[in-house]
Amino acid sequence: MTRFLDRWYQLLTWIMAVTVAVLIIPVTLQIFSRYTSLIPSYIWTEEMSRFFFVWMVMLGAMIGVRDRLHFDVDVFPDLSPHKNAFLRLVANALTLIFTAVVIWWGVEFTRFGWNQTSELADLPMWLIFIAWPLTGLSWLLFQVDHFRSDWRDFKNPNLKRTTAAGAVGIDGEKHE
Amino acid sequence: MNSAAVLSSGGAAWVLFGTFFLLLVLRVPVAFALGLASLPVLIIEPRLSPMVIFNEMFKSYNSFILLSVPFFLLTANLMNVGGITDRLMRMSRALVGHFPGGLAQINVLLSVFFAGISGSSTADAASQGKLFIEAQVKEGYDLSFSIAITAVSAVLAVIIPPSILMVVWGGVISTSIGAMYLAGVLPGLLIGLAQMATVHAYAKRRNYPVYPRSTFKEIIKSTFTSIPALMTPLIIVGGILAGWFTATESAAIAVLYAASLSLFYYREMNLKQLYHAIVETGKLSGVALFCVGTASVFGWLLAYYQIPKAVLAGVQGWDLGIMGTGFLIAAAFLVVGCFLDAIPAIIIVGTTLQPLAAAAGMHPVSFAIIGIVALAFGLVTPPYGMCLMISCAVAKVPLKYAIKDTMIMLVPMLSVLVLIIVFPELPLLLPRWFSPDLLK
Repeated sequence: MTRFLDRWYQLLTWIMAVTVAVLIIPVTLQIFSRYTSLIPSYIWTEEMSRFFFVWMVMLGAMIGVRDRLHFDVDVFPDLSPHKNAFLRLVANALTLIFTAVVIWWGVEFTRFGWNQTSELADLPMWLIFIAWPLTGLSWLLFQVDHFRSDWRDFKNPNLKRTTAAGAVGIDGEKHE
Repeated sequence: MNSAAVLSSGGAAWVLFGTFFLLLVLRVPVAFALGLASLPVLIIEPRLSPMVIFNEMFKSYNSFILLSVPFFLLTANLMNVGGITDRLMRMSRALVGHFPGGLAQINVLLSVFFAGISGSSTADAASQGKLFIEAQVKEGYDLSFSIAITAVSAVLAVIIPPSILMVVWGGVISTSIGAMYLAGVLPGLLIGLAQMATVHAYAKRRNYPVYPRSTFKEIIKSTFTSIPALMTPLIIVGGILAGWFTATESAAIAVLYAASLSLFYYREMNLKQLYHAIVETGKLSGVALFCVGTASVFGWLLAYYQIPKAVLAGVQGWDLGIMGTGFLIAAAFLVVGCFLDAIPAIIIVGTTLQPLAAAAGMHPVSFAIIGIVALAFGLVTPPYGMCLMISCAVAKVPLKYAIKDTMIMLVPMLSVLVLIIVFPELPLLLPRWFSPDLLK
């Protein structure tokens, strides 16, 4: 399971890197085509870049769940490690509701785009809309994994503070 | 008003904001909390369905303007790995290293230069956190001071052009991005000066160290090697003003320029570092922009129930005038900035306050600058201040450890905000001078 998740994560990261790198191309073409006749001014450059952009955002959002990069607000900074692990379980469960919504209605969203094509390049729209159910599925996998590790933390009687309050700072001293 | 709506404005507002804050307290990530808080209303209201979530998210991502966000982040990441930041640091040292609190002064001045190339404060906080905090502590500066000055100087990146927040603002509230860029220059430099004065005061009281004064030759030499990097803001802002390219295209140009400087001119970046910079960019912009999507859903629902109108109906009766409205707007953004990231705050609160600013006769660019400066301060105010969170994470201390020094440093910065509100013409000075057409 963990090995599969690692692979999946690496694949997503690699595709995301490609979307970021590729994004530059249509935008650059668009600028230069305005000033030189060497490059024909493709009408689809803008649409193309927007579509890569949608995928980049959704891939980043998938990876962000695994890396716990989605920012949260820490209203209780001084919780004990156990209460912290418990709160992580609660937050994870609530987030899972959104995941379910994104999978369930995401499939409907993709079906809705099944016969549509884009305005300029005539691309099938489901190629973009399918990013939503795929995002939901990836979240589900990563969240189940988080659930397992948070549950282990919660059950572990010797859980130590790892971050924030009580850890050793960069100056080698403790800052409670 | 949608007469067939089941929920009243007030009822919908309670459900939306109540659920949102409850989820925040339970530490659900902001982006998910915004989406989840929209869900009950979408299910209760027979005319709506959760499909709204998908339509609104897709609409917000399907935007050419937001494309500039990954480009600005990539520029910043390339600067750091490609040696541009190092060159600018040497130059800053030659210029201000001999002031009291030399290294902290360099910290602030480098943020000013960095702000002129990158439009992302979080990127600034992350890179300068690594560069300065440990180094300052080793030289005898207090840790909390070092964290605080790194965090507060990072906010300059969204005030001095280019700026991700201004691009988003221009996209959401249709204001000229070129005009906002020019208008951000003076307030940004004033805030930078205020921070340098703060460092001076700290350094005098606490006897922070000083570097020997650089020779004139060193200043010339370090400036000369930095010139190609310092050209970036001129290319970006100048290119937009001259009509050569749009805001998004200028961000793409900045990426290409930073990449070629790093790969061919300074030649300090290899392909592995390039890949790493690209991955970091994708992650950060994906996470930030995903939140834009769910914030748009939330904002759409607020508009659907005409909640902004209901809120403002009371306020408009007060007849505040331009200055009073300015203070109200700044206060609203400062409070919201404590709990929300700046981009969703623009989408939700900026659009709400816009009619108020317009009714008071405030110039749209003045409104934008007041809002953006206040939101920039929100980047260092707890509990949700991204720049302060990043700086504390780099220093491996809890957030509350650096709050006191951060608040002290905010006071002179707030006085600059007050200055802009009292003299709304001040930020408009540069745009009026360079391109009055942009102000209409």
